[in-house]
Amino acid sequence: MSLEAPQAGGAGGLDVRLRGVMCRHGRLEAVSGVHLEVAAGERVALTGTNGSGKTTLLRAVLGLHRQVEGEILVGGRGTRSAAEWAWRRRACGWIPQRPAAGRFPLLAGELLASSGAPEAAAEAAERLGVGDLADRPVDGLSGGQLQRMHLARAVGCVAAGAGVLLADEPTAALDFAGQEEAAEVLTSLPVTLIVVTHDRAMAARCDRTLEMAAGRLREVA
Amino acid sequence: MSAWGQVGDLLQLVPVQRAGFGLLLAAFGLPVVGVVIVGLDIMPVRFAMMHVALLGIAVGQLVGLDPVVCALVACALAGAGVAPLARTADGLSGAMGLLMSLAIAAALLMLALSGVNANGAFALLWGSILAVRPADLVVLGVLAVAVPGLFVWRRRELALLLHDRELAWCSGVAVQRLTVVLLVLVAVSVAGAIRLTGALLVDALTLLPALAARRLGRSLVSITLWAVGIGVVVNVTGFLISLAWDLPPGPVLVLAAGAVALAAHLIPERRTSSWRTSASSSAPSPPPLH
Repeated sequence: MSLEAPQAGGAGGLDVRLRGVMCRHGRLEAVSGVHLEVAAGERVALTGTNGSGKTTLLRAVLGLHRQVEGEILVGGRGTRSAAEWAWRRRACGWIPQRPAAGRFPLLAGELLASSGAPEAAAEAAERLGVGDLADRPVDGLSGGQLQRMHLARAVGCVAAGAGVLLADEPTAALDFAGQEEAAEVLTSLPVTLIVVTHDRAMAARCDRTLEMAAGRLREVA
Repeated sequence: MSAWGQVGDLLQLVPVQRAGFGLLLAAFGLPVVGVVIVGLDIMPVRFAMMHVALLGIAVGQLVGLDPVVCALVACALAGAGVAPLARTADGLSGAMGLLMSLAIAAALLMLALSGVNANGAFALLWGSILAVRPADLVVLGVLAVAVPGLFVWRRRELALLLHDRELAWCSGVAVQRLTVVLLVLVAVSVAGAIRLTGALLVDALTLLPALAARRLGRSLVSITLWAVGIGVVVNVTGFLISLAWDLPPGPVLVLAAGAVALAAHLIPERRTSSWRTSASSSAPSPPPLH
């Protein structure tokens, strides 16, 4: 199988397919038998109560959660080898639910550069009003500023070739204007978007809304 | 004779010159190892490696191989062996405790089987900076080049890994491989440094500059530079003080490095312009991206 760099720019993203996915936290089954087909370029909102398995499902796609059964394909590719995992990590951008405070300081500029496209991420940070904070350690930023930085990083990931964006409550720490702005940024990117959100305005901008309850997924709208 | 006159005289002696040069070399490599130790939160690594090294010595004596080489190999294997436990935030710290207990038990069993006196085996581990040999200087020199070199070569990946393992993974860093490299480097450096300088001095040369630097720096690069700078200053001044007043260098260097670490923690938090200022200046929200 060819494992060239993902080419999402202009192609509208990559499709995501989950078949019979089950995720465990030890003996607890957090996600049960999830089947999901997301077409390339589609925007999907994932809603549901706390603890229903939304975050675990996103983390399973990224490889951050490893107790997974079933099949997860991004752009038709699985993760049987280290090379395929490396491809998956380039293909998927991630906005974490709670950005880590980190054991060691990291400059916001280093966070932006980790996207793979430092210039595009820095430009996005400028537009999001946090461009002048690039020389600050991320643990010196407010929750909203850090979330904007991660949003800018996600723009950089897309510029670097990511075809899927997995965003976990990307507007939770933002004020009302910031939520609108973040939703606009996320939904205007030329990628497949799966966003975990409790924000109705964000969900309304998506093509589909899915709901998770007790680890199971169902279509709402 | 004045204290500084005595320093001049002592510096004419070859073992003292070697010790001074060894400390200077150690100041470039070992504080950077300390930065990794602090970053990975594996403070008990020195104790764990002492016990693992003892196990290596015991195995070496049992099978008739060079015990010091066996000790270094055992430490390298132990470092690589605990790497998978780094997956969780507190996995490594607990692993060091477990490693320490298992290694000492296995070492005592081996020593009992080989019939070797445990004190004799321990003695192989405990060096002194004043007894440094030219071959030891070569080892310290390699560490002084290799460790900072790795930090310069892989600083982006290391900054991400030491900040947040998951963010590093998602940013394409080969997290597992880099963790193994770091742990093997730490294990071998700490075990080697115990052999070269003595167990007490290892803390002064590795951990204490890194702890002070962690407080003073705002990024991995600045923390690393602070650690090396503090290491050089502490080693040179501590060594000169020990020569001037005829004191043992180990305790003097530990106290000097400890004083710097304490002073760094007493300095008030660095005041940057408040994030509230920037937050208010960023409102109203700029136009959205297209």
